Amino acid sequence: MTISRRQLLKYGFKIGASAAALGALPRPLYVDLGDGGLEAVPPIESERIRELAFRAVEAARDAGAAYADVRLTHTRMRRITAAGDIGDEEQVAVGVRALVAGRWGFASSPMWSRDEVARLGREAAYQAKSAAVGPAYEVVLADVPVVHDEHWTMPVEVDPFEVSPFEIADYLAALTNFVSRFPGHRSDVASANFYVQEKAFASSAGSYCTQRLYRTEGELSLAFEGVRRRLDALTPAGMGWELFTGQELREEIRRLMGELEEDAKLPVKPVEVGRYEVVCDAISIATLLESTLGTATQLDRVLGFEANASGTSYFSDPLAMLGSHQVGVPALTLTANRNERGAAGTVRWDDEGVESEEFTLVRDGILADFQTTRESASWLAEYYRGTGRAVRSHGCAVAPSALEIPLQHVPNLRLAAGPDDLDFDSAIAGVKSGLAVRGLVVDVDFQGGAGLGRSGLVYEIKGGQRVARVVGAGFLFRSAELWKDVVALGGHGSVQRFGMMARKGEPAQATYHSVAAPPVVFGQFTVIDPTRKA
Amino acid sequence: MIGRSLHDGRILSPDDCRALLRRVHALAEGGGDTAIRVSSWWHGELRWARNQIRTLSDRRDVRLTVIRTVRNGRDGAVTTNQLDDASLEAAVRAAERQSRMGAKIGRGVGFYPQFPHYEPFPNAAIWSDATFEAAALARAEVARRMIAHAEAQGMLSAGYLEVRAAMTATLGTEFPELRTGEHAFWEQPYVRWTQAQGSMTVRNAAGTGSGWAGLSSYDWRRIESASGALAERAVQKCVASQDPVALEPGRYTVILEPQAVADLMEPLIQSFNREPPEMGLTSPWRLAYDEALGLWRTKLGMKVVDERITISHDPADPDQGIVMHPLDLPEPVTWIERGVLKNLGHDWATEVEKLKGWHAVRGADAYRMSGGDTSLDEMIRTTRRGLLVTRFSNVAVLDGESLLSTGLTRDGLWLIENGQITKAVKNFRFTESPLFVLNHIEQLGEPVPVFRPTKREGDRLRPAIVPPVKARDFSFTSVIDAI
Repeated sequence: MTISRRQLLKYGFKIGASAAALGALPRPLYVDLGDGGLEAVPPIESERIRELAFRAVEAARDAGAAYADVRLTHTRMRRITAAGDIGDEEQVAVGVRALVAGRWGFASSPMWSRDEVARLGREAAYQAKSAAVGPAYEVVLADVPVVHDEHWTMPVEVDPFEVSPFEIADYLAALTNFVSRFPGHRSDVASANFYVQEKAFASSAGSYCTQRLYRTEGELSLAFEGVRRRLDALTPAGMGWELFTGQELREEIRRLMGELEEDAKLPVKPVEVGRYEVVCDAISIATLLESTLGTATQLDRVLGFEANASGTSYFSDPLAMLGSHQVGVPALTLTANRNERGAAGTVRWDDEGVESEEFTLVRDGILADFQTTRESASWLAEYYRGTGRAVRSHGCAVAPSALEIPLQHVPNLRLAAGPDDLDFDSAIAGVKSGLAVRGLVVDVDFQGGAGLGRSGLVYEIKGGQRVARVVGAGFLFRSAELWKDVVALGGHGSVQRFGMMARKGEPAQATYHSVAAPPVVFGQFTVIDPTRKA
Repeated sequence: MIGRSLHDGRILSPDDCRALLRRVHALAEGGGDTAIRVSSWWHGELRWARNQIRTLSDRRDVRLTVIRTVRNGRDGAVTTNQLDDASLEAAVRAAERQSRMGAKIGRGVGFYPQFPHYEPFPNAAIWSDATFEAAALARAEVARRMIAHAEAQGMLSAGYLEVRAAMTATLGTEFPELRTGEHAFWEQPYVRWTQAQGSMTVRNAAGTGSGWAGLSSYDWRRIESASGALAERAVQKCVASQDPVALEPGRYTVILEPQAVADLMEPLIQSFNREPPEMGLTSPWRLAYDEALGLWRTKLGMKVVDERITISHDPADPDQGIVMHPLDLPEPVTWIERGVLKNLGHDWATEVEKLKGWHAVRGADAYRMSGGDTSLDEMIRTTRRGLLVTRFSNVAVLDGESLLSTGLTRDGLWLIENGQITKAVKNFRFTESPLFVLNHIEQLGEPVPVFRPTKREGDRLRPAIVPPVKARDFSFTSVIDAI
């Protein structure tokens, strides 16, 4: 039997219609784009959004801005729990940034209209001018190629907003039911968060680009006889509903339940303080990287621009340290990117219209670069020119929405794997006497220089075997020594990626990125009882 | 049109808000309960670093959440930031669809008793025209003056000044005809408040010294008039903190400046809630399970800290500025009175026999801690060996029962020997409980307002008035290099 094109269209239409009905929640937002009245927010590719964007830029330029850019964001968030609770939020925002005599002005509001964007353009320039008394301050923006009207949609397999929220709630409830079928096991929470942001960017240099970005995350925690684990497979990712359906979650849950049962059999003993060989699992390493090198290689922090907020950096002199400062063992190579498929910090262009790329922060243990924006890249111009490289931004300017001014935020990070075929279990097998830790929570100082890690799941290892569960252990470290103490890095197969949130700035902004890392064995970790007083 | 007024008024006016609530309420179809929560905020911000003003900004947003519960349905909630009729109607329809699709037979609506009406505090210290009218130029002028203090000493400063205004309303009680069912309990008439904050970090070029000072208040004039003193204090702290020496970790007598006390007390202030200890959950106020009565007993009525300590809040206090909800008990509340735990906050729905009607006793947001009459200089002069602490950073609770916490000293730590400040000291990580400190007090000074701004846009004020404290045997567990 053949199916005619006509039938296909009809069939396709029906599928589309029923999917929309199931999806249940139409876009509730309307905007005034100057065509006589209100209309539903158009797709971000719409030519009229482009007009709106450049209207804002021109208003800022007319008001005296040497440079101006604008972002328009349309954001949808949905939270669904296994209990069937659904929370929907939708937000439209526009923010204009203007540079006058080396000062930035910024103005934002929740309205897309021709009058409002022009007002914001003028207001941003006015804000900048208000600071511009006295000698001009030189802001050099690293060159960036003009983007000519391009659009990018983050590749996701299933747009989560096209899936019925009730289907998702049922799916989550089924996961918790699955767990409860196994005696003694329980799952405390199960929830899913979805996020899609459509974003338009225009600059006075003539760039214009639009993107549709997705983020999905889930939470499922397991408990068995007082031992708890979180499902790491659902940390934030630049993915759609396939974050859940694209992996064998039940297999993963069964595997975790098996480990929990093994863990529960181990005797429990209190921590004995001392120095230990320690095997850290991949998520512990991702957290350690994020709090140490990921924090310290933010160039704005290094130069004191965050001093009154989250802090500075234990790298004090970037130009003297770049290319020579040893931050870790030669096997340590840390790259950063904003273009890795599926990662939580992935975009095509950052919030200054800079195309995303991969760059190396630490090469063979030596500090090689910093996280930069267009402005901060120029602070390293001397180094870049000296090494024959172009002075360009690494595309780390981000803001959660157009309501906030872009800041330099942490991009996706990736720690290169070691040469051997090593994973968490085989690393443990190679340790005669030591500790192994899962899911370290790290509390680091305001320079990323020293910290304390804690975890609910620490094993004592004797002769390559887990012999006990250690409670109350604290892992004290200095970042400058920590990464020089790496004995072994897990192999390619052991690298896992986790989505994370980071806060920065005044007022504080929260943004997302991913960190990928293998498990790592450290030679001499200082282990303390963090609850023991002096 | 509402949109216009948002341009001009920055936050929604009472009239616009009233009209908006009526409009949204009228859009509900199919009966059941409706709740509408509106909030809007405006921020004027200024950031500087390396003695240069970096960014001035003017930002605003509005947020409307409609919660619909149709008959036998679940709660359907949709939030939007567009206030035109079409967007609002779509939001109400979406909330109704959510509610209907999760229907559970027999759930019912509207079974709550009438809600009492408390008068708002007409003169509560929560709104300042000076804050709302502080223009970008005024902020820039204050920043320039503060920067000049650092420049004069050849130091680098970074800082933040902010003025903000916010309002919220949830189906105002002034419209009894709009009250429906269970959501009526969340009703709140239009209330607006302002907040101003200023803080400054001063570092030397080598990064071997750092000082800080900050203040928050509902009133910008207080920040403006204190700005010179704040700048001077941050500069002096930076100058005096340069090139610190490492001391051995251990137990020290500490003189905690008011800001350090506030930073350390944060977990304690947030613990004044009744439900966790009465449900047997981790809380410093859980005493023991009473087998005879079959319930968890709390430490209410017991002496928990030094008798010199009283921690209270009072909505009529001109320095405290509490944004009250009609469900909050509209009276002063004393949490700890002369060392004895007197009150714990509780939710409106918690069945406690002593409740006078349907109200909540909110846990402490804003608070005042009693002090003494010892000046900071006097505390130093009477110390044989001890440490002077400017503030704490990264405070995290290790044990919810004892409130044992860990954290770091930041922006100025000095050794005191024989009544004199003798050396700048490298920062420490501490392992200590605020309850321990309040049981080892030697001297107390005069309580003063500290830096405790609300952080998230639209959040309520949380000012604190806190004394400097001298306490013994404070536990510092490791040295950190961070400055």
